[in-house]
Amino acid sequence: MGYVAGLDSGSTSTKLVVMQDEKIDRYYVVPTGGNSLRSAQKVLELWFEEADKTEHDLQCLVATGYGRENIKLAIKTVSEISCHAKGVHWLFPDCRVIIDIGGQDFKVIKLDKEGRVLNFAMNDKCAAGTGRYLELMANIFQMDLDAFGLAAFSAGGSVEITSVCTVFAESEVINHVSRGTAENEIVAGIFNAVARRVYSLAKQHIADAKEIVFTGGVAKNQGMIEALARITGCEVKVGFNPQITGALGAAIFSHHINGGQ
Amino acid sequence: MNNESGLAQVKSIYENRDARARELSKEKKIIGYLCHFAPPEIISAAGMIPYRITGQLGDDIVEANRYVEPYGCPYVRNCFEQGLKGRHDFLEGRVIPHSCDMVQRIYGLWKYYNNPNFSYLFNVPHQVVPWSLDFFERELTFFKESLEKHSGQKISEEQIISAIQLSNDNRRLIKELYELRKTQPPKLSGVEMLQILLAQSCTPPEEFNVLLKKIKEEAAARETVKKELPRVLVWGCIIDDIKFLEIIEQTGAHVVSDDLCIGTRTALAQIDTSEGVMRGLTNTYFRDFRCPRTDHGPSRERFSYVLDLIREYNVQGVIGYALTFCDPHKLDYPDLRDYLNDHGIPMLLINDDYTLGNVEAVKNRVQAFLEMLE
Repeated sequence: MGYVAGLDSGSTSTKLVVMQDEKIDRYYVVPTGGNSLRSAQKVLELWFEEADKTEHDLQCLVATGYGRENIKLAIKTVSEISCHAKGVHWLFPDCRVIIDIGGQDFKVIKLDKEGRVLNFAMNDKCAAGTGRYLELMANIFQMDLDAFGLAAFSAGGSVEITSVCTVFAESEVINHVSRGTAENEIVAGIFNAVARRVYSLAKQHIADAKEIVFTGGVAKNQGMIEALARITGCEVKVGFNPQITGALGAAIFSHHINGGQ
Repeated sequence: MNNESGLAQVKSIYENRDARARELSKEKKIIGYLCHFAPPEIISAAGMIPYRITGQLGDDIVEANRYVEPYGCPYVRNCFEQGLKGRHDFLEGRVIPHSCDMVQRIYGLWKYYNNPNFSYLFNVPHQVVPWSLDFFERELTFFKESLEKHSGQKISEEQIISAIQLSNDNRRLIKELYELRKTQPPKLSGVEMLQILLAQSCTPPEEFNVLLKKIKEEAAARETVKKELPRVLVWGCIIDDIKFLEIIEQTGAHVVSDDLCIGTRTALAQIDTSEGVMRGLTNTYFRDFRCPRTDHGPSRERFSYVLDLIREYNVQGVIGYALTFCDPHKLDYPDLRDYLNDHGIPMLLINDDYTLGNVEAVKNRVQAFLEMLE
């Protein structure tokens, strides 16, 4: 069988997953940088170059994400909610709840045993609880995101961040820094704040589930994985690359459209 | 006069809704109204023309912010803004019901700052009990008397009956148009039906009657190509712009029915005057009018009429439209959602601040929801 692909044109990053015979061939993640068309083209070119192929070798492409309508090569667009569900189900067939925290939004998806979406909820209006919030906070400490993710582990306690709003929360954090509060305790407080914010939307959908699959760029943050597990009381699983789940799901849809089982 | 199709005429009226009223205002008095409590039939019986006041979706609220705080119904603030911009200058006056706090507040603001020739605050109870029905009946009489005082002419019962007969006729034709939406695919789209309903609200009823008959002929004769798109019912707050339904239909669905004040909550009723004219109006405009601002008790069975609509129109999913700060709708939503889910019907709620500014966010949710229905 030929190659099929899924392209997730997100607001922060653009992802491509290419599959052949229902196995992942290659995958790529590039920053969208405000131009979804250009980054989609870039991500495809990365595959063309590395695999020594052209667009004629792609039998089918499904696009998802905010920029999905602009992807001319796409035979169909599918919502990122359905794509995340499909992708996560492929990786974790027993999963019934997904929490996806991206650059500018977060979502909760409830699935059935076939990986079909039963229900979902999204926050894409407010920066609190998204990757953007964490970026802003990491910036206060002049840390890169990897270091930031590990910074809470050594903490003995955590501060309470009382404001939900990102802007006011930032002021609170700066206040803590200037008062000399331990850095690791502030960072722990930040991760708790994000986890709590997400949990308030997710709680109803988690219900009695014991496991959650965590996707999106923020799932690369080790501190967030721990905070989410603690605050939800569930086991949190993360795939080998939490950013590509949407594109993976789109690729699987592509595979089915192309006649694959 | 008009070789244009009925639907094309409706579209023109929809896109320029005050044009006919402005023309007529040179010789007749136009009375603006909000919501659906003060019967337009009484306004017609008084020899005046009823005109539903609407907002302008997406308009920047600038002037109104000086009079009304931003944390209140965005729809009412938008309507008030239209007034400040002079878009209601052809109105003789307004009748404003006490539908909810914000609508009622606007009455006071308009009266104080606009000082119109005619102004009436229509009191509406919040529960349906025998004494509130009597209250509403009395209120109808007070409203009628205030119009009489303003025009200097008595309104006879015959005149009201005649107005009711005409509006009943129009609603009978609207019902026949709704029947055409029961086919798969429907012969009238949700967008077209909404344009018809909105055009009706700003056109004298006798003129619209002629147009409705034309539309019915055209629509019934339409050939449709079989399309297997999911069938959706839209529930919620006032929708006076086609944008929301366009988004839904363009994403890939047929909006075949609704539970909206501009739609089935009032558009299909037949006013029955057998128990008296005012009692008949009370039953249609208050007792049977299903806006959540009227309390119909705590039981989820209060939504059985929605399930009836779902079965009648063969609906697979419900999409709700709730305006920011609309407590009546938002507090009813969880019960409605759970009731529908128990009956196997999924429901999606879209929140909007009467701008539909983030179309992508709406499309995202609608597309995911429609995929769930597949």
